[in-house]
Amino acid sequence: MKDPQAHSAPAPGNSRREFLRNIALVAGAASLAGAANAAALPTEPEGESPPSEYLSFGPDEAAFVEALVDVMCPADGLTPRGVECGLALFVDRQLAGAFGQGERLYRNGPWRPGRAEDGFQRPLTPEQFYKAGIAAANEACRRRHGRPFAALDHGEADEMLTVFAAGGTADEPALLGEWFNELVYPLFVQSCFADPIYGGNRGKVFWKMLGYPGLPAVNGLNMVRYRGKPFPGARTPMSMEDFS
Amino acid sequence: MTIHPHCTVAIVGGGLAAGLVARQLAREKVQTVVLERGGDVMGTAAARIPTQRDELRWDVRIGLMQDAATETYTLRRSRDELSRPMRRLNAFLPGTGVGGAGNHWNGQAWRWVEYNTKLRSRLVERYGRKAIPDDMPLQDWGVSYDELEPYYDLFEKLFGISGRAGNLNGRIQPGGNPFEAPRRNEYPQGPLETTEAGLIFQETVQRKFGYHPFPSPAANSPGAYTNPDGMRLGACQYCGHCDRFICEANAKGTPAALLYPWLEHQPGFKLQQGAQVTALDYDDKAGRVRGVRYIDLLTGVEHLQPADAVVLAGFTLTNAKLLLSGGIGRRYDPVTGQGVVGRNFCYQANSGMDLFFPGRWLNPFLSAGSTGTIIDEFNDDNFDHTGLGFLGGGYIGVNVSSGRPIKSRRLPPGTPRWGSRWKQANADWYAHACSMGVQGSCYPHRENFLDLDPDYTDAFGQPLVRITFDFRENERQLSAYCTGQARKIADAMGASVVGPAVPRSAPFDTRLYQGSHITGGTIMGADSATSVVSPRLQHWDAENLFVAGASVFAHNAGHNPTGPVAALALRLGDDLARYVRNPGRLS
Repeated sequence: MKDPQAHSAPAPGNSRREFLRNIALVAGAASLAGAANAAALPTEPEGESPPSEYLSFGPDEAAFVEALVDVMCPADGLTPRGVECGLALFVDRQLAGAFGQGERLYRNGPWRPGRAEDGFQRPLTPEQFYKAGIAAANEACRRRHGRPFAALDHGEADEMLTVFAAGGTADEPALLGEWFNELVYPLFVQSCFADPIYGGNRGKVFWKMLGYPGLPAVNGLNMVRYRGKPFPGARTPMSMEDFS
Repeated sequence: MTIHPHCTVAIVGGGLAAGLVARQLAREKVQTVVLERGGDVMGTAAARIPTQRDELRWDVRIGLMQDAATETYTLRRSRDELSRPMRRLNAFLPGTGVGGAGNHWNGQAWRWVEYNTKLRSRLVERYGRKAIPDDMPLQDWGVSYDELEPYYDLFEKLFGISGRAGNLNGRIQPGGNPFEAPRRNEYPQGPLETTEAGLIFQETVQRKFGYHPFPSPAANSPGAYTNPDGMRLGACQYCGHCDRFICEANAKGTPAALLYPWLEHQPGFKLQQGAQVTALDYDDKAGRVRGVRYIDLLTGVEHLQPADAVVLAGFTLTNAKLLLSGGIGRRYDPVTGQGVVGRNFCYQANSGMDLFFPGRWLNPFLSAGSTGTIIDEFNDDNFDHTGLGFLGGGYIGVNVSSGRPIKSRRLPPGTPRWGSRWKQANADWYAHACSMGVQGSCYPHRENFLDLDPDYTDAFGQPLVRITFDFRENERQLSAYCTGQARKIADAMGASVVGPAVPRSAPFDTRLYQGSHITGGTIMGADSATSVVSPRLQHWDAENLFVAGASVFAHNAGHNPTGPVAALALRLGDDLARYVRNPGRLS
């Protein structure tokens, strides 16, 4: 196996865009068959900017999720704001794709609401549950602030996330806690730290923040050489695209 | 229905146990058909750079595991609860495909402590009959460690296991596990490199506690290795993508690397992929099975494979399912304690805590599946339980097996869950934290058992296995005790922060991965009133039916189960070669 550090720098090519376009085609077909608000199939984006067509979100849902990831990941010395890191795009792609459509989810009845420790027991796909939660969360924001989540200022929005994480308001206790902690939050974390090929973690910015070297192929010598020492490869993480 | 020509031995499932049984049969030229529902994962994107290193796909979305939409399990915590299906598989993860879960394991390859197969006798002798609670149906397995030792030895050679002997022919070896069962040979390969976190643990437990740390026995190959069958492994690259992943470097001892490629060149061996086994053809009057029914997943057509002898070697729960649905053997009844199929279902009482070392570079991404540094002072019955109020225990250790960023980041308690301070904490601690774990035993409880769910079915129209399980008083007590011992060590390691040391407790949480080491349901024993299979793994009610895998364990220990699964499977292979030449009840 060659030393991954010896690989040439990734060509400023289209493999990431092509990947996103390909999953868009697959996911788009699923959306057309299922969700009512499936976006039109995307076209090849112009120039070097990454694609931003949403495949699952309608405009209000997009506004919600973009506000969400910008509150959870504000621009600071560590990363740009969430939308610029691709976090909303990641969530959209996951919901439009196999995960959101219920892959690997047992969906036979009878349906029996359970306790939290029984895990997900709703007859919804993750995409449907995510969107039901957006509607409930916006409703909670309107009751408290008179505006939907996307229209709140940063402090208000941050506080509402704390309310959701604690189990929601008294009116919607069962839905919002599970929605935020079991679906929204894990997708947020995945959007930050998954390989950039899925649309989030743009420019490997979260891997650089951690010092995670990405996908080294060979650490047999590094294991001893860098035991207890800073690992130089952590400054220049390698993603799947860098190996393609 | 398509009826195949008769074969000598048909094996249900194509994983580790099946591969080892088939290997012994092939050496004796016994014709064997292995029926595996999945396909071959070697050579796919799962086994190639760069797609192998995809944490989201293979780890978070468990891309190599059994598809819950096709088959899952239901759970209830007591008989008076309604069951719920595990709609996602999280707590434990059955594999699928040629080689099964043995392809994507971390590789901890333990020999269990020698008294484990005679645990009831050992505990009665040491603490008296009253020390075993009435609701704990512990029993001896009917096999001795001495009988298994040659098979442990063979498995270690076949899989190139690395480690450091702690007990060579009864002589305790420095640097090894002093509680280890006596072994005739050193490990085939020396230990893996120790991680930085492992060095801190090792130094602390030796100097401050006088314990005896040792490197985890591992199926991650430290160097190039050729096994007795001429099959080769490369050197582990410490890539941190082991458990839940296929090793693209061919450096992990797995059935797909070492067993099936060898088997396919043996005359008389046949591997049938895409074969979803649905039933055994059972003749209860004759006390025999005639063969195995399966659905060919390519066509949906039902097939029958007639055989002289049949081995159940599926996942733990699959073995129980096929016996329960086929009415083979008496179903266990928790009310009367009578019956056998489904009894002694056990999990493990695992727990842990996070440790934070500012300024120390622990680099969790430099790790193999089994780069662990362990002590066995508090495992099973290695310590005196007098007055403790529980039986069993667990190993305590620092296993660094991954720095994968979605799931292997550790944050000090009190860190916000999002925002700039959350990001800063990730940046501050990622390379400077580790976890310490307890792998706790789980002894049987009268109310922990398997049966068939009356309400839920799989994609083939068959009932799902229903698990009735919770962590009962004994496991809660042992987890509290062992987690407390681990916490004392953690506090002495020089960490600036130690995360909460939370023992395993009830209610059982299906959302949390707690290891895939589930055992029992078709247990072995010398008494047909309390076991499904004999000490030779021969079904008491069907002379030509045998069972391999952790489903035959009468209890679960504080060590990973693969070692005894392998030793029992190799021994069964030798027994079967005898059986097919001279059928009858094996003694």
